[in-house]
Amino acid sequence: MSQWLLGAAVLAVCLVPCAAVCFYAGPLSGLAALQVAGGLTTSILILLAEAFRRQPFIDLAVVFAALMVVGGIVFARILERDL
Amino acid sequence: MTWRSAASVVLVCLGVGLGAVATLGVVVMRDWQDRVHYAGVAALGVVLVGLAVLVRESFSIIGDKALVTAVLMLVGSPIANHVILRSGRIRTLGDWRRNVDDQIEAQ
Repeated sequence: MSQWLLGAAVLAVCLVPCAAVCFYAGPLSGLAALQVAGGLTTSILILLAEAFRRQPFIDLAVVFAALMVVGGIVFARILERDL
Repeated sequence: MTWRSAASVVLVCLGVGLGAVATLGVVVMRDWQDRVHYAGVAALGVVLVGLAVLVRESFSIIGDKALVTAVLMLVGSPIANHVILRSGRIRTLGDWRRNVDDQIEAQ
């Protein structure tokens, strides 16, 4: 197992606590956990693209990084009002 | 092992380590404002992983896209975190301005 795959596996495990915070903490804490999980997923996609030498994975990482920022802003604006 | 491979291994280890620290911070911290700080740490981890790919592959297609991803995270993550903190402040206090605390204490 290369360092790329090992790093992707470690970060994939780290997604589980972030999901737990999203489910069990409040909405604002869940949004923070969602942002962290988005960063971890972007890293995972980059690492998998390098490990498998597959170009589409790095395209996914670029799109995911952009959408994560936009999604975080949209979620924050929605959470600004009481749900 | 070339210097490129060694540098990429170091950068990957640092990036994955920052991702793990960010996860630990989100789980351990109790306040939502403290948790938002760790989103920036995770974004810095993405930047280091992207730099690792760039160092290993140089300016190829995959290296360029890794660089674009790193720049996106470097620019976009602070903006998103600022908006989250501002919206959370509006949600909890009703207004984002600094003197709201003083007004609440005065009331």
